[in-house]
Amino acid sequence: MSLASRLALQQSRARLLRPTQPQGSVVVRQILMRSLSSSPRRLYAQHASGHNHAHPSAPASSNTDVNPYKDGQSAIDKAVHLFFFTEILRGMWIVMEQIFRPPYTIMYPFEKGPLSPRFRGEHALRRYPSGEERCIACKLCEAICPAQAITIESEVRQDGSRRTTKYDIDMTKCIYCGFCQEACPVDAIVETQHHEYTTETREELLYNKEKLLANGDRAEAEIAANLHADHVYR
Amino acid sequence: MVSLHRYIRNIRRTGLKEWWRAMQYIGDAKAGQHVGTDQLGNRYFENLNAEEEVPGRHRWVDYAQHDYNGSQVPPEWHSWLTHIRKEPPVQDPVMQSSTPVWKSPYVENLTGTRGAYRPYNTAAPKIIAWEPTVATRT
Repeated sequence: MSLASRLALQQSRARLLRPTQPQGSVVVRQILMRSLSSSPRRLYAQHASGHNHAHPSAPASSNTDVNPYKDGQSAIDKAVHLFFFTEILRGMWIVMEQIFRPPYTIMYPFEKGPLSPRFRGEHALRRYPSGEERCIACKLCEAICPAQAITIESEVRQDGSRRTTKYDIDMTKCIYCGFCQEACPVDAIVETQHHEYTTETREELLYNKEKLLANGDRAEAEIAANLHADHVYR
Repeated sequence: MVSLHRYIRNIRRTGLKEWWRAMQYIGDAKAGQHVGTDQLGNRYFENLNAEEEVPGRHRWVDYAQHDYNGSQVPPEWHSWLTHIRKEPPVQDPVMQSSTPVWKSPYVENLTGTRGAYRPYNTAAPKIIAWEPTVATRT
């Protein structure tokens, strides 16, 4: 189809669809004025013309204009709020309230979150109240350790008892599952509530027996109190 | 404006000096009962009134050192501060009875200093280098 014939077809279609000449000029004038005017749009009228088949009973009168500013502020109110910065002042008031409001954040080194007596933190080797070390080198903890972080060597002492000569825990391997303290028949290896033992170097986390015994010597009261609090559940 | 009321009330309770110290460290004006001081000089406070302190923030410590860190709390007070024990250790009969005579003094986490722990072998070495001995010739 050539260009001229296509233009002719469009013109004939437009002539057929256009109702009558005066009505068409009114529509064109309304559209032009609508784009320039600041009066509210005829929201309901447009909606009804678009979906008239769905709502056949909707009245298509011209008294359905919606004024969205009907219940709002007047121009003087808006000008007052604009020139006196009331929104900014209200925002600053909210900020000032937040300054003096008690924060729900736990201020960590000064306040600490709740811990359980079963919390599993840094390891320690305990002693009997007489001062004798508890570990008998049965190696159950070494056997059950899923990360294989424990290394034990033992020998028979001069009094005939078997004690460890080496009790190493690689704290970088440990997954803090607590199986070692569950496996221990004499409650020698425990995990204390101490968890603030971060180090600068990696080698400081390779604990040996003396370090673990020193941990137990410092925290024995806390360990015993935790075991006392938990003994009814064991 | 209850919060501003709380702030001013806590300043009036603790005094300006304590308030200034709190603003330097904990950063909040808190007022409570002084329940004890540990062997390192840290002071421990408690305010169980839920209207005055947010529950969960009702126990706090004022560190003695300016260069404070969380490991400066001894284990007994640590278990009080982390809400494991209800009573402070000086009044806790379980904590008192389970304190052994051989308890060693607490030291904080000394990493980064000369007192830091360095691992060493506690067992005798299994491999001993061969030291040749030369028999004297006759």
